[in-house]
Amino acid sequence: MKQTLVTGNEAAAWGARLVQPNYIPTFPITPQTECIETLAQWISDGEMSGTYFDRMESEHSVMSAAVGAAAVGARVFTATSSQGLLLMHEVLYIASGMRLPIVMATISRGLSSPVTLWSDHNDFLDQRDSGWLMLHAENNQEVLDMVLQAYRIAEDPRVLLPIMVNMDGYVLSFTDEPITIPTAGMVKEFLPEYTPKHTIAKDRPITVGPPVLDEYTLFRAQNHVAARNALEVMEEVMVDFDRIFGRRYHLVDEFMLEDAELVLVTQGSMSTTAKAAIMEMREEEDIKVGLLRLRVIRPWPASAIAAALKNAKAVAVIDRNVAPGKGGIMLPEIVETLYHLDRRPLVSSFIVGLGGNSQTEHKVKEITRKLIVDLETGRPRVEWNDMNNNDNEGL
Amino acid sequence: MQEFKSLKDLPEQDYFTGGSSTCAGCGPSMGLKLALKVLGPDTIIVNASGCMTLLPLYPNTPLKVSWIHNAIENASSTAAGVRHGLDMLGNGDMNVVVYAGDGATYDIGLASLSAAAAKNERIIYICYNNQSFGNTGFQWSTATPYGSETKTTPRGKDNPTGTTVVNKDMVKIMGAHRVYAATASLAYPVDFLNKLNRAKERDGFSYIELLGSCTAGWNYDPRMTVRISKLAVQCGMWPLYEIENGMLTLNKDFNELKPIDEFLKLQGRYRALPQDDVAKLQSLINEHWAELKEYNGKRYV
Ligand SMILES: Cc1ncc(C[n+]2csc(CCOP(=O)(O)OP(=O)(O)O)c2C)c(N)n1
Ligand code: SF4
Repeated sequence: MKQTLVTGNEAAAWGARLVQPNYIPTFPITPQTECIETLAQWISDGEMSGTYFDRMESEHSVMSAAVGAAAVGARVFTATSSQGLLLMHEVLYIASGMRLPIVMATISRGLSSPVTLWSDHNDFLDQRDSGWLMLHAENNQEVLDMVLQAYRIAEDPRVLLPIMVNMDGYVLSFTDEPITIPTAGMVKEFLPEYTPKHTIAKDRPITVGPPVLDEYTLFRAQNHVAARNALEVMEEVMVDFDRIFGRRYHLVDEFMLEDAELVLVTQGSMSTTAKAAIMEMREEEDIKVGLLRLRVIRPWPASAIAAALKNAKAVAVIDRNVAPGKGGIMLPEIVETLYHLDRRPLVSSFIVGLGGNSQTEHKVKEITRKLIVDLETGRPRVEWNDMNNNDNEGL
Repeated sequence: MQEFKSLKDLPEQDYFTGGSSTCAGCGPSMGLKLALKVLGPDTIIVNASGCMTLLPLYPNTPLKVSWIHNAIENASSTAAGVRHGLDMLGNGDMNVVVYAGDGATYDIGLASLSAAAAKNERIIYICYNNQSFGNTGFQWSTATPYGSETKTTPRGKDNPTGTTVVNKDMVKIMGAHRVYAATASLAYPVDFLNKLNRAKERDGFSYIELLGSCTAGWNYDPRMTVRISKLAVQCGMWPLYEIENGMLTLNKDFNELKPIDEFLKLQGRYRALPQDDVAKLQSLINEHWAELKEYNGKRYV
């Protein structure tokens, strides 16, 4: 194991390097570029001899090639962002429909138009119903760890589904953080060799991706069951991960929730800032606030989320994304999850940090204070936190 | 390498058996059946969405080889992934063969095809050209010849010609990618299979375009598939030639072409084509034929 400073892009590349995929099809897009450039250099330098690095002419072709290679039993890794991820959209459904355990790092960036290079989560969350499993990292260590875990989860025979590991563009992708790089031996112990039983091989002719008639529902239902199975597999994988690497992860990340009356629900790198603000608020203002970070977006860990929020009095869902004409994308997911509880907390919605708008401790504190007001008045709010534009029709 | 001299030399073994959901008399289906005779069992067919996607219909398949369908525009990039996946896993001796229609080749899939060819991936690309988007019911593609009627270029009072755009010269475009590029016809199976045989041996990209006579779209009696395919060659509508290292070889030479009328009159898609459009089509064909004759044995692209 070695301690070193790496960016989020490099952390994802390290994950791939440790896994030694057979095939990496690529197409550049900011802020993902550094990830594939790092891999290209390593491969040129002979440090990943079992890997073929392919330069494609578009992201649509990247995902198509990933499908082709995975269909013949290769381990595949790739990475993309923003418009690139959207250009893959059509083929993402095909990859999950074919039950191919492809792993992809997504480095989130706001979508055009207008053009921004900075992060929000619309690109990632737009893939929510594609059948891919979706993980979202908070920091660079988790990026690397999630890539390793992703292969274990994706390749499990109970699952066999592709996975995205998301990180926030710039905030993680281009920021150096100290992380621990595991040894090849540990990774070998954690991740067994991949010996697929259902892919095309010599002397095993099979048909992949044919048309169906009435069986369509059956195949979709199998996808759904496989995705639900992944929850159990994830729990097992995280226990094993802890045993070998000494870092314990859970389906959801709970921070200071034991006695929390107010809970902030966050995703990705803003969670670190929010955690710092929470510690200060608890210490200086005696506010009982905690945080729930969504680590796993698909499959949706409903029980874990409900259990974590069941004692909360008020919840602020902080969405770094927007579905225009509706609101934050995660808000309804949280509300629906809480709906079946005996006692439901009040839920307010805050849309923040679009296109890289900064996520400061100050902002987190402001949201928390607004949540206190909401709890007092008993009225939830829907708010665009960066612009004083409140849309209270929304709830 | 074995060179076939006559039909009797062709392998008897079939890897395309009964149970496909394509039309009776379908040229593209017959083409694949022939192709698999030389491609053999260690072959993966990469299909682009189109008529041939209906070969297998879950849970049946007429094929004894592997087959993957991804989408319409990405057969070449899928094939690149298949190729490199196989190579990295030590199965480099398998044939990776794209079987895609003209719409998937000339139009929506051109970017992915061009990249795979430019990278000289070890893939055999067979475009079965039925001169239309066949599967969606026979609409115009950039492979549709001048004067053909399609569902999106119907003949009418203001447009008696039907298709007014002249089809692009895809074989030349592929030849300019510095890969092996050739045309083929069902009616000349020895020529077709020898070309495939050579493509199989090549350490790089090969592009073979097979005229995919289409009984449903071209609107003719299914029994006529081979006859129409033959006439297409004899009329110069579908000359047989190849480009290798930029050099052109005409594989089937004629002193004189049959008039295009003989090809047109058997098909519904040319019914009521005005005489001056027939003349224009004939002159386009003559021009192309003259060009091929002129460059035969010489650098072409
Ligand atoms: C992105 C996309 N657009 C449209 C279609 C609908 N579509 C399916 S098959 C087809 C026609 C393909 O034509 P061609 O490649 O010439 O093959 P053919 O049908 O003639 O065999 C089309 C347009 C599709 N499957 N995907
Ligand atoms: S429409 Fe034409 S190409 Fe398509 S299956 Fe029928 S005959 Fe074959």
